[in-house]
Amino acid sequence: MQFNQENRELSLKVVYYGPALSGKTTNLTALHARLNPDVRGRLLTVDTKSDRTLFFDLLPVFFETGSGLKVKIKLYTVPGQVMHSATRRIVLQGADAIAFIADSQVEQTRANNEYWRNMQDDLRLNGLTREKLPTVIQFNKRDLPNVRSLQELEDIRKRGEEAMFLASALNGEGVVETLHGLLSLTHVRLEQRLKIESQWNLTRKEFLSRIFSGFDLAGTHLSTAVS
Amino acid sequence: MSELVPLSVLQQRVPLGEVVDLVSFIEVCKSFSDLYRIGVKVFDAHGKRLVDIKAGSEDFCGYVFTFQTGKERCTATVGRVKDQPVPGKDVERIQCFTGARYLVLPIVYEMDYLGRAVLGPFVPDDLVELPSTLLDIGPETPNGSPAFDPPVARALMERFRRAPESTIHKILLHFGTILNVMVFSSYRVFLTGQLHLESVKESNRVLEDKNRELQANFDRLKELDTLKSNFLATVSHELRTPLTSIMGYTDMLLEGLAGPVKDEQQQFLKTIMEKSEALLGMITDMLDLTRAEASRVTLKRELTDPARILHDTFTTVAPLARKKNIEIRERVVGSLPKLLLDRVKVQQSVMNLAVNAIKFTREGGHIVLEGQLVEQGDGRFGGDSWLELAVSDDGIGIPNAQIERIFDTFYQVDGSSTREFGGVGLGLALVKSYVEAHGGQVKVHTVEGTGSRFSLLFPMA
Repeated sequence: MQFNQENRELSLKVVYYGPALSGKTTNLTALHARLNPDVRGRLLTVDTKSDRTLFFDLLPVFFETGSGLKVKIKLYTVPGQVMHSATRRIVLQGADAIAFIADSQVEQTRANNEYWRNMQDDLRLNGLTREKLPTVIQFNKRDLPNVRSLQELEDIRKRGEEAMFLASALNGEGVVETLHGLLSLTHVRLEQRLKIESQWNLTRKEFLSRIFSGFDLAGTHLSTAVS
Repeated sequence: MSELVPLSVLQQRVPLGEVVDLVSFIEVCKSFSDLYRIGVKVFDAHGKRLVDIKAGSEDFCGYVFTFQTGKERCTATVGRVKDQPVPGKDVERIQCFTGARYLVLPIVYEMDYLGRAVLGPFVPDDLVELPSTLLDIGPETPNGSPAFDPPVARALMERFRRAPESTIHKILLHFGTILNVMVFSSYRVFLTGQLHLESVKESNRVLEDKNRELQANFDRLKELDTLKSNFLATVSHELRTPLTSIMGYTDMLLEGLAGPVKDEQQQFLKTIMEKSEALLGMITDMLDLTRAEASRVTLKRELTDPARILHDTFTTVAPLARKKNIEIRERVVGSLPKLLLDRVKVQQSVMNLAVNAIKFTREGGHIVLEGQLVEQGDGRFGGDSWLELAVSDDGIGIPNAQIERIFDTFYQVDGSSTREFGGVGLGLALVKSYVEAHGGQVKVHTVEGTGSRFSLLFPMA
């Protein structure tokens, strides 16, 4: 979180973390496709010939509040391949919120667990505490066969405190909802740390509507929630 | 790892001049300036000038600058071009006192102000007369210098571009689009390069930590190994003392010093003697090895005939081989020169290999003891000369995965308690330390199920 009181600028870093091929970049691509170009920058991707993320993807979203506060949210993905552990750690530095993109397929359970543990290590090495970081889990690839059942996901949810979202990022389903859920939690954290609502007059409603009014919400669960 | 990950470039705001490749950036600006016949300036967020390309205005500005008032007004205008706040994303107009104009476009990347692009000076097409702010810069000539000459100024002004402001405005917006793409691409390349570097550094940091950990473990193991060697040395020594007594008294019994011994008793005593000797052999090996491990192998070098060593070994092990119905031969290629070797240790090494070969060769098998001179190595002037003493057999061979470990202390290819072949697994470790103490090497060539060839190489010089 970088907050420049003098210039009235707030910069937030949201990191999409998760195992290889769980759909982190696909999430960002889907968000990019739904976002009005006026409120976002270009999607910056650094990938290999085979379309695997090499270092990170970055999608900046920005807006100015009614009280003149400039807010910039940078959405990053980490590279998922095992060999890029050092890069994952670097990208995670200074994260303000985390979307953990899990693969719903049963056989990916081990990878999900492993990356969840890696994430704790990476956070610790960056001086961050997960308990204090707004975190959501997205179960992606719901459209595939052999995925965890809803009952199983409910059991998984009970093992922790993180909010869970279902998605099929390739079809653009659930990605906006995931980000909405995460940023909603982030606002709570901003209020705790910066008194964003009481001192800067940025209510949760304004924070979310400034961002999500820039999205094409057709077909999402938010089409009526945000206006 | 104790330290935190160092601050990444992703967490920092980087100045425009560091993001773009300035040389190529200036080239693009230059070609743009040539195409539209207009000056281009680019400043970073701190007002540092990155690009300054003039297009026809030099002489006019130079002329105006020769007058004190002109100089002051010019400096003020340039200051405004560079620093005047440009709120928002829109083009700002900056009027020069000469009637010329500048248009300024803020360079904003993801809401961050990175600097400004300036086109100008240009002469707006609605400028008909030179303004009074220009005409009054040099009315008098106190020190004899010529007065400001409007026709000269007008002629010089004709050299730079006259155009409607709306046209320049359009050109500037176009330039802004190009800039934006350039900044994006440069930023991408810049971040990729930096992050690559950071990732390598971070991986290196992790490896260094792991290395430190490994080194610490290694040191600890070495310490334990020394403790083990000391323990073995003490134990072997302590075992030898009572064993010597056992053997001494057995010998005395055998010799009848304690009264007559019956045949059967003599047989039993002989067995006790034989087994005690075997036990003493093992204990001696253990003691030798602990010395070797502590790098305390001391060689007693003497001029030694290698062929003799082979032959002595041959005569010693031949009865053993015969007992197992194994054919054993000795073969010396050419004549072997005498060398300065520790005869006892080399003999012991060859003997060790020969006994091993007999142990691991089935009945009816073959063993050859060989001696020859070989050349080996990739020296610039050919291989070096070595004396090779080798023992080959057509026995059971050694599995590939085990070859590296057979020289380890106490290692047995078959480590089970029910294994077919006895021994404590010290032999090869001793052989290796003896040969290496001579500056030599031990090589093994083996094919599982077909046989092995152990060769001891001693340097010739």
